[in-house]
Amino acid sequence: MRIVNGIAQNYFYFASMVIFLIGFHTMLTHSNLIKKILGMNIMETAVFLFVVSIGYVRGRAAPVVGGEAQQFVNPLPSALILTGLVVGVSLTAFALALIIKVYQYYGTVDADEIMQIRSEER
Amino acid sequence: MTHVPVFVIISCLGLAFALPVLCRFRPRPAGWLVRALLMLNTALVARVLLFVNHQGTFYYHLGSWPPPWGIELSIDYLGLFTALVVHGVSLAVVFYAQTDLAGEVDPRMHHWYYTLFLLLLASMTGICFSGDFFNIFVFVEIATIGACGIIALKRHPDCVEASLKYLILSTLGSGLILLSLAILYMVTGHLNLRYIAQHMPTAWAAYPLNVNISLALLVVGFGVKAALFPLHIWLPDAHSSAPAPSSAILSGVLVKIYAVALIRLIHTVYGHKLHQMIPVTQVLLLLATLAIFAGSLFAIGQRDIKRMLAYSTVAQMGYIFLGVALLTENAVVGGVTHIFNHALMKSMLFMAAGAVVYQKGFRRISDFHGLGREMPITMAVFGIGALSMVGIPGFNGFISKVYLAIGALDAGRPVYVAVILISSLLNAAYYLPIVTRAFFNQETGPATFRVDRLPLSMKATLVILGGLCIYFGLVPGSLLRLVQKAVQSLLAT
Amino acid sequence: MDDVVLQTVTLMLLPFIQTYGIYIMVNGHLTPGGGFAGGAVLGISLILYALTFHVDEAAKVYPRRKAEALESLGALVFIFIGLLGVLGGAAFLTNNTSFLSGQAGTLLGGGFILPVTVAVGLKVASTVVTLFFHLLEEEKR
Repeated sequence: MRIVNGIAQNYFYFASMVIFLIGFHTMLTHSNLIKKILGMNIMETAVFLFVVSIGYVRGRAAPVVGGEAQQFVNPLPSALILTGLVVGVSLTAFALALIIKVYQYYGTVDADEIMQIRSEER
Repeated sequence: MTHVPVFVIISCLGLAFALPVLCRFRPRPAGWLVRALLMLNTALVARVLLFVNHQGTFYYHLGSWPPPWGIELSIDYLGLFTALVVHGVSLAVVFYAQTDLAGEVDPRMHHWYYTLFLLLLASMTGICFSGDFFNIFVFVEIATIGACGIIALKRHPDCVEASLKYLILSTLGSGLILLSLAILYMVTGHLNLRYIAQHMPTAWAAYPLNVNISLALLVVGFGVKAALFPLHIWLPDAHSSAPAPSSAILSGVLVKIYAVALIRLIHTVYGHKLHQMIPVTQVLLLLATLAIFAGSLFAIGQRDIKRMLAYSTVAQMGYIFLGVALLTENAVVGGVTHIFNHALMKSMLFMAAGAVVYQKGFRRISDFHGLGREMPITMAVFGIGALSMVGIPGFNGFISKVYLAIGALDAGRPVYVAVILISSLLNAAYYLPIVTRAFFNQETGPATFRVDRLPLSMKATLVILGGLCIYFGLVPGSLLRLVQKAVQSLLAT
Repeated sequence: MDDVVLQTVTLMLLPFIQTYGIYIMVNGHLTPGGGFAGGAVLGISLILYALTFHVDEAAKVYPRRKAEALESLGALVFIFIGLLGVLGGAAFLTNNTSFLSGQAGTLLGGGFILPVTVAVGLKVASTVVTLFFHLLEEEKR
């Protein structure tokens, strides 16, 4: 019962863990490189969700000078995640560019097939 | 003078952004600009070291926001030591790259190569100096992009594939680091390393599970990036397929920067009381021992010179983690000194291997018959590096191994002395045959010459690095004093 | 690709998207958002244009060379503004409210924050566009 209660109260942490595992699983088990990158993105999103939910308090406003709200959420995790998002975007773009190159060299984006082609070359 | 560390980082970033515009039509001056900036920055870092030696360590608050709000750069001995190693090796690499790049990277892409190189350099310096966990994470990510970029810039299927593999595993590592950071922030409420350390005892008392998880994630996250043994699978591909200057900087410096970051975080943030309660150092010791043996055994089986050097890096990272995890002062001195020694040796060996590829065009070790007669300087330098790797007295590799052994005895674990001795024999088993084959074998290898003579810039870089290897093997006093100061401040906190 | 409905709707939407992007960018110190969010919206408006019309058409409006130059320029302006803090005798990136010293809480009251967010926004917008162009070109080759 205690565990169920804990999960119910912290459902966002639990959700981010589940999403993280989904992403991790996708990244490790799929041989399609694009799907690997998708898994990577899902995993990152889970981490971002986790960080943002640390600072979130229900019903409070963003801390802006001159606003009317009296109670604020912690803005720092959101600011951190903005940076994380930027990094995630650039990593994804870079990975996609590399996949395009791989496709040009091997004619496939499947990791297993690439392994096969490489072993035949040797 | 206090602005200098931030200037070193910012000037690298600034030139990195300016190069694509400046050198759009004439890529040639890019290399000279980078070399000039690096010489200036190396001198500046050395000057800051003198300043700190005189005035003591200091903190720099970006944007004048004092901690815990703002980002803090902490300029201490460990950071300065690693920054000096980073800049010294990079300086050698850019002088070497002047001619080597022409053979491996499309000339129109040279200024992009330097842009990525500068980004990598700026982020490595940033990791050395930063006193803020999130800032370290950001620099780690920039370093990842820079590192993957300078591998993939060579137009070869192997490079692109290795780079992609490295990128995916690295991203996994940084995801874990970010998660660890988030959990730490959750229980301590701070991102500044000193403030996290202050709040660690109360956090540990209230939420031991969170602290444990964050430490585990941190070790695995940085372990992937620092190629700690079972997580090293990306390293041989990435480091062996990359252009020679990239291999030198990645294998020589980059993996160690992550090790330094991990050491700093484990020692300053988690502190010694936690080490007695969480067996993290035991795990590190086990993995380091495995790394030393497995890396060497894999290296013995390699036929490609650069792949062999890459596996050797896995083994050598084991020494660094071994020293740091033994926790006695001498052992940590040995580990940290090995960061410098290995950076010097491994970048030199990769450059020597690159010079062979540049002049002769082959990479198979079996082709090295009689190469010592055709390329005496390169192979002599390679020989110095090989002897130093094995740990022959008089070369710099010996110094760090002696300190590691003494530290293992101090810690009351003589079994690790045996580990170091046996692994030295294993090192000899794969390094020395190359040297004997090159110098004492009467046969001659394939007589293919891509170019008649090695350019002066390559030869000079190799000779200077070889000279430094011998110099620090014979007179290690100044180096050891600096490392001891760094280690004492690390262990005191 | 020559869909009249799509093109007309895009042309109608573009000014609003871009105004919104610029609003988010400029009000970075007053409301949630800022350089990255605003710049991304701006960049995406240009990608939308390139998708509904043709890439070559978009390249005429927003030449790639200029996008790359703007990208570098945004970062350099950021560093320059950071160095102004050092010139003012304080640390790198220190804000100086005597520049744009309006009342706190108004558009011109944030010191260096406004120019910094604009620089970041322009860099992000051009980066997003350059990434798009680069990925497309790699495909063609």
